Amino acid sequence: MRRSRMLALGFSLTAILSSAASAQTTVVFWDFFGGGDGARMKTIVDNFNASQKDIVVNRTTQTWGNPFYTKVHTAVVAGQTPDIMTYHLSAVPAGLQKKDLRALSTADLALAGLKITDFQSNLVNTLTTDAKALTGTSNIYSIPLDTHTFVVYYNKDLLKKAGLIDASGMMSPMKSIADMTKALQTIKSKTGVVPIAFSSNQDSATVWRLWYSLFLQQGGSMFKDGKLYLGDLDTKGKAALDAIADWTKQGLLTKNVTYPASVALFSAGRTAMMFNGNWEVPTMVDAKAKGTLKFDYGIMAFPALYGGKASTWADSHELAIPNNTKTPMTADKLKAVMTFVSYVQKQGGMTWAGGGHIPSYLPTQTSAAFKALQPNVQYSATAAKDATLEPNVPIFGVGGPVYDAVGNYFTPVLLGQLTSDQGISKFKAALTTFNK
Amino acid sequence: MLKTVPGKTDTQAVSKQVQARQKWMTAALMVAPFLIIYLLFLIYPTLRVIQLSFTNADLNGSGRFTGLSNYIKLLHEPTFWNALLNTLYFILLTVIPNTLVGLGLALLILRLRRLKNFVLAAFFLPYVLPVSVVTSVWNWVLDSNFGLFNFLTGSTVTWFQDPVWAMPAVAFVTIWWTVGFNILLFIAGLQSISPDIYEAAALDGASGARLFWSITWPNLWPVTSLILLLQLIAQFKIFDQIYLLTTGGPFDKTLVLLLYSYREGFQQQHGGYASTIGVVLMLIILVVSAIQSKLLNRGNAA
Repeated sequence: MRRSRMLALGFSLTAILSSAASAQTTVVFWDFFGGGDGARMKTIVDNFNASQKDIVVNRTTQTWGNPFYTKVHTAVVAGQTPDIMTYHLSAVPAGLQKKDLRALSTADLALAGLKITDFQSNLVNTLTTDAKALTGTSNIYSIPLDTHTFVVYYNKDLLKKAGLIDASGMMSPMKSIADMTKALQTIKSKTGVVPIAFSSNQDSATVWRLWYSLFLQQGGSMFKDGKLYLGDLDTKGKAALDAIADWTKQGLLTKNVTYPASVALFSAGRTAMMFNGNWEVPTMVDAKAKGTLKFDYGIMAFPALYGGKASTWADSHELAIPNNTKTPMTADKLKAVMTFVSYVQKQGGMTWAGGGHIPSYLPTQTSAAFKALQPNVQYSATAAKDATLEPNVPIFGVGGPVYDAVGNYFTPVLLGQLTSDQGISKFKAALTTFNK
Repeated sequence: MLKTVPGKTDTQAVSKQVQARQKWMTAALMVAPFLIIYLLFLIYPTLRVIQLSFTNADLNGSGRFTGLSNYIKLLHEPTFWNALLNTLYFILLTVIPNTLVGLGLALLILRLRRLKNFVLAAFFLPYVLPVSVVTSVWNWVLDSNFGLFNFLTGSTVTWFQDPVWAMPAVAFVTIWWTVGFNILLFIAGLQSISPDIYEAAALDGASGARLFWSITWPNLWPVTSLILLLQLIAQFKIFDQIYLLTTGGPFDKTLVLLLYSYREGFQQQHGGYASTIGVVLMLIILVVSAIQSKLLNRGNAA
């Protein structure tokens, strides 16, 4: 008893001494932004550190995807977490299942001068739905930062040659799979390039995003009555897979290309389009500014290819506090963290939008500045409307096992190594096993 | 620990005892760093893994005791058998080829008159490289669209994504990376064969292949069997190259046991089940290496 009291005294003394010595609160921040949006996040953090003297944010960028979420979970288990981190909305169900996330009360948010109603409502609803399903409460476990989705980048110079640019200088959206196929064939015959840059080599995420979008547009769903649902996969799921495999087979979509290579092919003008996330917007903007992009480019929201809904895969980056139960956050630290969160949302909002993302903080989203931001304005209004999140089941989402299954069973269909029937049936079997 | 006995009058005996104790202390101090690290980072984790394999633990290591259920589940899981077969296939593609290539190159290098050390260094260099560098290099060389190999040969094979070629491609990279070490062991073994034996054999009129099979091969056998054993153990533990080059795909054609364990443990938080795979792999390696060393030693005796 006495010894522990002495120890406690000693610790608190050291704590007081060290805090007096530095007089600054250090906030450790983990993110997974390696590309153009990483540069934007760095600007925000640097500006924040320069704007005041009490708090220093120490940013570390970890590997995106499964390695990030594994690291977070082990950090939580070990009780040595960062103070704040980025997260994917699609990974929240898995995060709640692993108990990696700390609930954020209204009072916590108030420290940042924020209310949950300040944020895009469908994202907030998803957060509360996830929380209800996995914790039984309707707490908020993370703060939405943006929505990011799948878009079409296009090379206006090449498309002009193929006669696909309309009077306004834009590409008009294709209305069906057949329409798209025809347009792609035209591009191929008129310009001689592979029409679409698409990454599928060691990149299941991109395959998943395209397939899921086409699946959703046919009205497909993998989530019914709060549970995993596989009934649409044999019909709509197979049709979506067939469509992509057919484009690959006809040479309309790059085959077996890695992610960086797909961006490089498009940026070098060697493909007419690129199917990719809006986070490559800064790559295009920066390349254009530097003069390394030799052509005019346009961006459009992913078109509706099944005559009806234009639903498109989307996810949302979040800011979240790890659930460190071993060494819970002090009130001072929490205040510092929330001050940073406030800065990212309010002052950093437009910088972040420069990363191609659609800000979730409504005052930024509805601001005149965002509505005039180029090239975001070409796609963001439509894309925001079409954005459809991943199924609310822990096996989905970034870092989840479904991405592995896609790489394992869908990518071989694109390469002609499996039939779409085999691919779908293996995929279904994998989902069933994961969900056990 | 030795105890000094108080009140003893024989000073000589006491000083002897002190001396012995000091010796013991010195020895203990010198062994302690190794022993502590060994117990802390090898024995303790091993025991923990065995204990975890009987629980339904998450990654945080606190799980309910579930008896043998993980083991029963494992034996009924087709993915496990697939991973085991793939691991054995990988071993087939690497262990003996790697040994033979190492022996061949060692014989060639020893025949060189000039630049011997330079050539040896050239072959040994890849072994010094970290696995991430090795896999990056070969990922580019064997890339199906932009790779040097496909560019030169006009092939369109997607080496690391092809169901037939993925495993041989990984095996090839592994041999390229690790053969230098085998060459080094073989050279040491070859140089330790006494020249007298060769001389005697030459006097008896032996040469060429006869010399190799009757003199070199049997005299080199202890080294060869050691290399085979080291190879076998190393290749059973294949993980890095697969994780970095194929991540187990396409459709689990290159899924090996450790990758399966990694997926279960770190992607699905099935810590207990992942431990079970680890324990089973450990048992397999123990049994196979025991059998192998027995077989190879018998070959030696005969």
